[in-house]
Amino acid sequence: MGHDTPPFKRILIANRGEIACRVIDTCRRLGVETVAVHHLSERNARFVRLADASAEITGDTPVAAYLDAEQIIETARETGAEAIHPGYGFLSENSGFARAVEAAGLVFIGPAPDTIDLMGDKIRSRRFAEENGVPVAPSVTGGEDIDAFVEKAASIGFPLLIKASAGGGGKGMSIVEGKQDLLTRARTARSEAERYFGDPTIYAERYVERPRHIEVQVLGDGQGKVLHLFERECSVQRRFQKIIEEAPAGHLDPALRDEICAAAVRLSEAVAYRNAGTVEFILAPDGTFYFLETNTRLQVEHPVTEMVTGLDLVALQLDIAAGRGLPLDQPDITLTGHALECRVCAEVPEQDFMPATGRILHLDPPAGDNIRFENGLREGADVTLDFDSMLAKLVVAAPDRPAAIDAAKQALERTVLLGVETNLNYLARILSHPAFRDDPLHTGFVAEHQAALAEPDLSPHVAARVLMAAALTFREFRTLAFDAPEPYASIGGWRN
Amino acid sequence: MKLKLRLNGTPHEMDIAALKPDLELRIDGRGHALRETGGTGALRHARIDGEDITYHQARSGNRAFLHLGGRTWIVEFVDPRDAAREKVQGSGDIRAPMPGVVVSVEKQPGDPVTAGDTILTIESMKLQTNLTAERDGVLAEILKSEGDVFEKGAIVARLQEEEDGDA
Repeated sequence: MGHDTPPFKRILIANRGEIACRVIDTCRRLGVETVAVHHLSERNARFVRLADASAEITGDTPVAAYLDAEQIIETARETGAEAIHPGYGFLSENSGFARAVEAAGLVFIGPAPDTIDLMGDKIRSRRFAEENGVPVAPSVTGGEDIDAFVEKAASIGFPLLIKASAGGGGKGMSIVEGKQDLLTRARTARSEAERYFGDPTIYAERYVERPRHIEVQVLGDGQGKVLHLFERECSVQRRFQKIIEEAPAGHLDPALRDEICAAAVRLSEAVAYRNAGTVEFILAPDGTFYFLETNTRLQVEHPVTEMVTGLDLVALQLDIAAGRGLPLDQPDITLTGHALECRVCAEVPEQDFMPATGRILHLDPPAGDNIRFENGLREGADVTLDFDSMLAKLVVAAPDRPAAIDAAKQALERTVLLGVETNLNYLARILSHPAFRDDPLHTGFVAEHQAALAEPDLSPHVAARVLMAAALTFREFRTLAFDAPEPYASIGGWRN
Repeated sequence: MKLKLRLNGTPHEMDIAALKPDLELRIDGRGHALRETGGTGALRHARIDGEDITYHQARSGNRAFLHLGGRTWIVEFVDPRDAAREKVQGSGDIRAPMPGVVVSVEKQPGDPVTAGDTILTIESMKLQTNLTAERDGVLAEILKSEGDVFEKGAIVARLQEEEDGDA
């Protein structure tokens, strides 16, 4: 705010897909040039086309290319980038990468490497939270000696939540209901922890029944000034991954909100946090809350916060990284209306949300003043298992929560995305469920309402319509029905 | 000739009763009238049972993707040859529900298994899933080993045929 010159001349975005597009969007507005990095398989991707320049990176797998810190830093130097924006995932919370970026004389658009070390380690960060008066849930850590771990974990009592110490995003996480499953689950968690994070350390904590996932968006200048941008609720999850997020949380007592936001600020001030960050909490039905973890990067669901505060988090990240500090004070940050984000994923909700593959054959996203359809999609692009199954984020704002729910539902219904199975219908069913509107959410929402959220039986009338429209696309049917290839041409380019 | 289609896992049968003046179809025994009324690219119009319908469509292989009435639909065209094959295979096959890679093999051929027992652990999109036996039985064979990559629908293990009667 108020700067005439861009915070950087050129930055490299060490990411892909929708988040690369999102960062490019702000950079364009600010006059910052962008360099994307892409794997050969995505050379025609939307983010590659939107960036001012893009460089190919190589690796055994596309993901490996994005985890190759050295190659990415080298690319940044070669392309004249002054700073690197890591997006989320990949190297965004890798302190070694952040250090290497700084050692190369570039700016890491993120926190100080020591902060990543502290906050990225579940055990150290918990201890740090406790020392700073932020409540944590009872837990044990280990994994090297699996039998000892299991014994200690069992003494906390069930149900237990087991997860990778170094992890995030639901990988390697599991709820254990009783002692009989503990050993198997601990082994699986350890193997996933090793595979994804290169660190087999796991930890178990008491699992709160009907917990809400409440997180606070913070911004720190690295000099000790920390602001909060209120909370988000991300309780609607499947496979421990968020699918619907909102800001602010519904059905939350204002005094409790203040307390949670204050705890997040206190924790972040204690490390003189720099960058945008998210402090995650578990909120129990009785109003007690526990520190979960801090994500030291831009969050997938950051747009809901932007919608209700009117702030551009990427622009603020760039200002902070450029040493311009925070151009705001806490009273400047106000909350207006309500925003919801639905994560549109390539998956089959009816089969335990299994990832689906395919090709984007047609995309016609919803549009409107209070709608953001954040995506990196392009017609003709393959949806593979190389990356995460999230295709797009549909973000909708309205004056209040009920209106936001209605608007999000309408926007989902208007979203045309053909060529791969998605959870679009499923997301609309969640928003239509009375419990989503009327009751406090909890992270078991999807499991609790599994039956009600299932695909409803179709009336013969509806099924017949769909089947007839479908039949018109099949050559076998057309041959029988129209007895000539002529209609293919006359109805406009039908092939196959 | 009857066409077999599948929608939301439910099979449907369609045949053509008359071609003119409008197309007359029978779907699961009920009569319907269908006429294409225009459209370009993915956007199409049709008159179905006297009502004008607008929808988006795309087709990939034997699957039609539709956006109609605010919802997304996938209709599968069932090749009669596939249906016949499926019938012969029986219920002892353990199939991969999605493409992925084998992380670990928990049982060996000859092992007795109970419904729900984990046979293999697979990984797809960075998530591990256990593939379990659908019924009690004895494991006949495991067709994939650790590190093997497979496609959706691949048979990864097989139970012995169920014994009939009083054997």
